[in-house]
Amino acid sequence: MADQDVAIRVEHLSKRFRIPLDRSATLKHRLTHWRSASRYRILEALLDVSFDVRAGEFIGIIGHNGSGKSTLLKILSRIYRANDGVVAIAGKVSPFLELGVGFNPELTARENIFLSGSILGLNRPELHRLFDEIIGFADLEQFVDHKLKNFSSGMEVRLAFSLAIQAHAEILMMDEVLAVGDAAFQEKCFDTFNRYKREGRTVVLVTHGLAAVTTYCDRALLLDHGRLVADGETADVTAQYRRAIGLAADGTLTANEVERWGSRDVVFTGLRMLDERGAEDRNPPTGGFVRIELGYEIQNDAVSDFVCTLWLLRADGLMVSESQLPVSQYAQVGESQRGSGGTMHFDIPQIPLLDGAYSVEVELRGRRDGAAYDHIRHAIDFRVIDRRDRHGVIEPGGAWSVVPADQPVAWRPTALPGVGQDERPVRRRR
Amino acid sequence: MSSTTDARLAGAARVSAPPLDSFRHYRHLTLELAISQFKLRYTGSALGYLWSLLKPAMIFAIMYFIFVDLFNIKDGTADYGMQVLLGIVVWTFFAECTSSSMAAIASNGGLIRKAYFPRSILVIAASLSALFTFLINLTIVFVIAVALHQIDIGLRIVVVIPLLLELYLLALGISLFLSALFVQFHDVSHLWEVLMQLLFYASGVMFSLTYVLQRLHLALQVGTTAEKAPHLVWIVQVMAANPIMQTIEDLRHALLTPVAPWTELVVSGHLAAVHQYAPLNAAWEVPVPFLVVLLVVAGGALTFRSRARSFAENL
Repeated sequence: MADQDVAIRVEHLSKRFRIPLDRSATLKHRLTHWRSASRYRILEALLDVSFDVRAGEFIGIIGHNGSGKSTLLKILSRIYRANDGVVAIAGKVSPFLELGVGFNPELTARENIFLSGSILGLNRPELHRLFDEIIGFADLEQFVDHKLKNFSSGMEVRLAFSLAIQAHAEILMMDEVLAVGDAAFQEKCFDTFNRYKREGRTVVLVTHGLAAVTTYCDRALLLDHGRLVADGETADVTAQYRRAIGLAADGTLTANEVERWGSRDVVFTGLRMLDERGAEDRNPPTGGFVRIELGYEIQNDAVSDFVCTLWLLRADGLMVSESQLPVSQYAQVGESQRGSGGTMHFDIPQIPLLDGAYSVEVELRGRRDGAAYDHIRHAIDFRVIDRRDRHGVIEPGGAWSVVPADQPVAWRPTALPGVGQDERPVRRRR
Repeated sequence: MSSTTDARLAGAARVSAPPLDSFRHYRHLTLELAISQFKLRYTGSALGYLWSLLKPAMIFAIMYFIFVDLFNIKDGTADYGMQVLLGIVVWTFFAECTSSSMAAIASNGGLIRKAYFPRSILVIAASLSALFTFLINLTIVFVIAVALHQIDIGLRIVVVIPLLLELYLLALGISLFLSALFVQFHDVSHLWEVLMQLLFYASGVMFSLTYVLQRLHLALQVGTTAEKAPHLVWIVQVMAANPIMQTIEDLRHALLTPVAPWTELVVSGHLAAVHQYAPLNAAWEVPVPFLVVLLVVAGGALTFRSRARSFAENL
């Protein structure tokens, strides 16, 4: 790694919090207990963390609650001071971590743009210049002089977001930005992050949502109790994290996943994504063979037969496909016997998806009553790799050809509006 | 501690925009915060900004009634009412500035935990917004005084600007100190309320220093309080060291009438014969109010600085 490419260098960073055992919130307490003023617990929020971030890199910081990831972000953006270690940053850092920092409900949208904008590091002339663009992007032209407290939360988020993307920092720090907003908003986030990527900006993203990390980040850091336990390819690090929180990469499922529900009459016992050789692979190439292997077990004698549904979802939540175990196969899985189980395969001969992050969602459901036995979101997070760098969503497998000039053509293209030779408006026939 | 968070990378060849810390940028942010706070202060009230005028006017009416009509306390000057009004406007600024700035840090926890900027900006912005109100009120008092011909405008008026600066710095220094402590100890707000009561009477809002010295003179002449005299002199000396009293007195002289004497001349005893009061004979005390301001500003800034780094963690 060449030195001039480094945007952020963190060396042996440590941060301790002193948590008073009996918080002395009053002077009296301080005065009467001055001898025992040193009674506090030390919380090691970060311990000897070192890493480099290259310029233009999208890096995700993941970890369980209290693992120190937000603390790390706050030290990087100078909100906290480290106790030990060195943080060196080359480039202009965004001074905010969340959307809508400094928004005041009593002020109008216009006033809030100027107030919050200046916290984001924009000055008044810049804000005047960008004003229409910000309002336009947020779709709030009619509400410029309305107070923010009368806005819906969606409107507020749109305003915050369109303002935040104007901040011209080279290094952006974002804490849980994606936790807010609806699907349409997340779509905008997605577009903006892609733009940042193209512009070569460095982004540090802290989030609980593994999907966001898999989608945007080239690299991820995993923190555990203040220690950096993994640093590498996003897929590897998220796999390690999933293993740590209970959804293991070898396919065995544990029950502490929040994104799992159902009566457990029939349960999934394992989920794997395999390539054509039968080896586990969560980074299939576009057009490659993908097999999803689903292990199941019947835990209730009363269950007669059930349906298995499998969805493919893009990281932003868009459902790419839905597929159900065909009726012809029911008999083979429907033999109800407590403790019995088996394996199902879902094969995709040539996966048509282009580069991006996706997930598999699965469900076992009673065929008669439709009750969910076991439903798992993000059962498998995977990333399709397209080596040819094509644009778009899918590879339809289309083929081009050119018709020779001398060959008679049965169909003649009708004149397109505005492109025809004659000036008369094109009239469409019924 | 070897944390050099904003240190440039050795060998980092990337060209970057001017550092965010530029004074210009933060000046802009400070003003923006001050303006919105100024706007916010009176939102939701029907009379809006009028309150900032009505409040001192009502206090003035109460005080004037009690002091003049009830106790018949006058310092003998013809434009006593005008002088009291000026005193109340100045005091209102000081009181509102310190008490609103005190909470500037504690009430902006969200901002402090989510964004980076020098923390003092919040206090400066709060004090500036109080200053705006004050300047407008002062102008109105001045206009009223001109309209009532209770004023004798002279070249002295140029002194008003350094006097206002002195007053503002004092309020800012105290605000920095209080806001930094308030984060951890909410007690300071109660303590400060009581202290302000004391300061109100020690600042000559309702009377002039000359008046106090005249009373002292009388007391000494009658002799009944001879034993208490050293004690009284000491109190007066303390009052003369108070920068708020000094600025109010000097503002009266500079802005309203030359009849109200410069504090400095009163303290040094130059006018004892003219005004017939007990001389303080304390020429050494003339620079004390200014030193007090300097000390307060330095103390406030240092206290704030040492505590500012942990605001984000303590809030």
